[in-house]
Amino acid sequence: MSASSQRHLIDELRERIRRIERRPARRDGFLPSGRPEVDALLPGGGFPKGALAHLAGGPASGKTLLALSALARAAAEGGLAAFVDGRGELYPPAAEAVGLDLGRLLVVRPGGAPSGGARGGPARGGPERGAGRGEEALAGLWAAEALLGSGAFAAVAVDVPLRGLAPARAEAMLRRLAAAAERGGAVGLWLGAPAPGCRVPAAVRLELPSPATASEGSGCPLPEGEGCCRLFPLGVRKGSAGGGRAA
Amino acid sequence: MPPEPFAGARVPRAAPRVLALAVPDLALQRALRSRPGAPPLVLCEEGRVVQASDAARAAGVRPGDSLVQARAACAGLEACPLDRAADRKALQALAEAMLSLAPAVEVGEEALLLDASAAAVVVEPSPLVVSVESECPLPEGEGCPSLLDREARLAGRALELARRLGYQARAAVADGKGPARALARSGAERVLVVPPGETARALSTLPLEALELPAAAAARLAAVGIHGVGALQALPPETLVHRFGLPGAEAARLAQGEDGRPLVPYLPETLPEESWDCDAAVESVEPLLFGLRRLAERVAARLAGRGLGAARLRLRLALDPRGEERLLFPLARPSSSAAGWLLLLRERLGEVRLGAPVTGLSLAAVEVAEAPPEQLAIGDRPEVARALEAVLSRLAARLGEAALFAAEPVDRHRPEAAYGAVSFRPHGKHGAGGSRCPSPSGRGHSDSWETARGEGVRPSATPDCIRPTRLLDPPRPVVAEGEGGRLTALRVEGRAFPVLYLAGPERLAGEWWSERFDRDYYRVRLKGLGDAWVYRDGQDGRLYLHGLFD
Repeated sequence: MSASSQRHLIDELRERIRRIERRPARRDGFLPSGRPEVDALLPGGGFPKGALAHLAGGPASGKTLLALSALARAAAEGGLAAFVDGRGELYPPAAEAVGLDLGRLLVVRPGGAPSGGARGGPARGGPERGAGRGEEALAGLWAAEALLGSGAFAAVAVDVPLRGLAPARAEAMLRRLAAAAERGGAVGLWLGAPAPGCRVPAAVRLELPSPATASEGSGCPLPEGEGCCRLFPLGVRKGSAGGGRAA
Repeated sequence: MPPEPFAGARVPRAAPRVLALAVPDLALQRALRSRPGAPPLVLCEEGRVVQASDAARAAGVRPGDSLVQARAACAGLEACPLDRAADRKALQALAEAMLSLAPAVEVGEEALLLDASAAAVVVEPSPLVVSVESECPLPEGEGCPSLLDREARLAGRALELARRLGYQARAAVADGKGPARALARSGAERVLVVPPGETARALSTLPLEALELPAAAAARLAAVGIHGVGALQALPPETLVHRFGLPGAEAARLAQGEDGRPLVPYLPETLPEESWDCDAAVESVEPLLFGLRRLAERVAARLAGRGLGAARLRLRLALDPRGEERLLFPLARPSSSAAGWLLLLRERLGEVRLGAPVTGLSLAAVEVAEAPPEQLAIGDRPEVARALEAVLSRLAARLGEAALFAAEPVDRHRPEAAYGAVSFRPHGKHGAGGSRCPSPSGRGHSDSWETARGEGVRPSATPDCIRPTRLLDPPRPVVAEGEGGRLTALRVEGRAFPVLYLAGPERLAGEWWSERFDRDYYRVRLKGLGDAWVYRDGQDGRLYLHGLFD
């Protein structure tokens, strides 16, 4: 038996076992970001599936817009998208504006319902009002891990401030996120700023400088992602959960 | 011409096909299913043994013995009083689950009667070996064998469902509910399917008690030597009417398999709750999960029979020596999947610290909603649907239902009210995405273009419906700094950010009838921060940072 037919047979057997165990299909490959100029910089032409990607940047650098574009692409391909909104700041109309079908986007706010939402009131069983920042961060990270590892979501954006967590604890939690992404085959997009001394175990890291820095003094009227941001891919290690080596 | 067998046994067309499910020794089975490791057990009434478990029978205890005799025969015998009301409830719970197999279920004495017309849609093969008396007069290929086979499968599924709920039963399918019940209660086979029109022949081998005639009529028949249904069938019906009156006529019809009475459907009125008693006080989670699995399957089966799904479950843990712990489990969507519930229950039980050992469990569906079977479209993957349901339930249980939502656009100009939170339903009414701005007919109004034209100002370079990706709640007050009437910087939370670029305004105002707002929004590019969404409040004249174009 040739090597290729042997590999084909093994893949087929794996697929049969997966069906017997009723596990969700492992998604290999890459998820395009929805922005050609970003995809051109990313190895594989998109964010790796089954791994964590780190979108680093300031408070108005365009990282959320880029994450929403990727989620829109995942939803357009028939998958489900989730946004763990630990800050409670995500504005869904902007997500709709980038073409994301809001019906396929699950927003998770560990702190409770949106203030302007139709379903107000405190979250039943959620973190208490007096709960510390660390508790809230842990709840957000737990939710992100559950979503990434579930196999039900194609892409999950995570924006959870790590305030109140010790760096070692935070890094351990981030490693769990990466492992969950690998287990569930989802694209994990980490938007939060890492705590000092804490490394994000991401396969890809994109650094988005503030557009005000990139086009300082130019009076550029373009929105982000249309030429204003610089991108720095640091490398991809397929199937890795432990952080890729910078390239 | 030879005489036609059972010439008087023509079945009226109205006689329905009925599946009777008999649960022998129901009270004993009910007592044993909640206490699987119970010692020799008898159920007694007025000091007499009514039903005895196998262990008690092996020790020589028989129904009819006095309780004193029984205790003398079997050391360690446990006696429970017969509770007919509880038995009736148990049978009703079983009927509730059977509603998933038949359109109508009647609750009888130690038996359920199912409308067997549902057999036409039963396609799954039965796991049981089915005994079918196939003397069908129709040749093969004319539908009759197929009908019998389907009825046998329906009976098999009913028995399997009863077994999952903890009951051993016998099933019979025949014309009319009286004959079907008699065959199920007195027949030798576990599953018996009688072809249409041959019910009288099947009944002929049964003893007279199977017909459950009035005691006086049965005694008088026995006095004249009639002990079996076959002997009763041989008597001319008019003779029986003449001798025994109305009960005689009833007996004659029943013996001939004529029973056109319709089923009286059972309509459940309460939400399902199932209990399980521990043999001994339990301190670890694993034994609890063992019992919980059974309870979940039973509650789920009962809900599924009614086409309902649980939206909220309540688990009660009875503690030793007294007290209880109540846990509520909100579910992301109404579900009757016991496997999905167990994931949630297992996770939560692992986190709970119990103050005392547990002596019993009780699981109830306290909130239910209609849960029709999910229609899978081409390309849908059921494993993903299951995974989604499981993760949503986990999140809802840990974070609360309000922490999970899907956003829905709302036709309002007030930015913080321009969307609402709805339950996440990926296959719901949400259509395709796309940019959507509030329509002019919506509440409030957007004056950006009108203002621009009216004041002779060039419209903003960016479309007026571009919104920030992040909205700050509440808006942060900012202080403007300028030179010579020109804005140079904005001070946000004590830190000054030089202004590089400014576009706008976009005027949003309205809702004078409730909480009036009047804002001029600007998109401002701030050095060191990025693009921000700032508005000047028309009521107090101050500037606020409302969002970030992150």
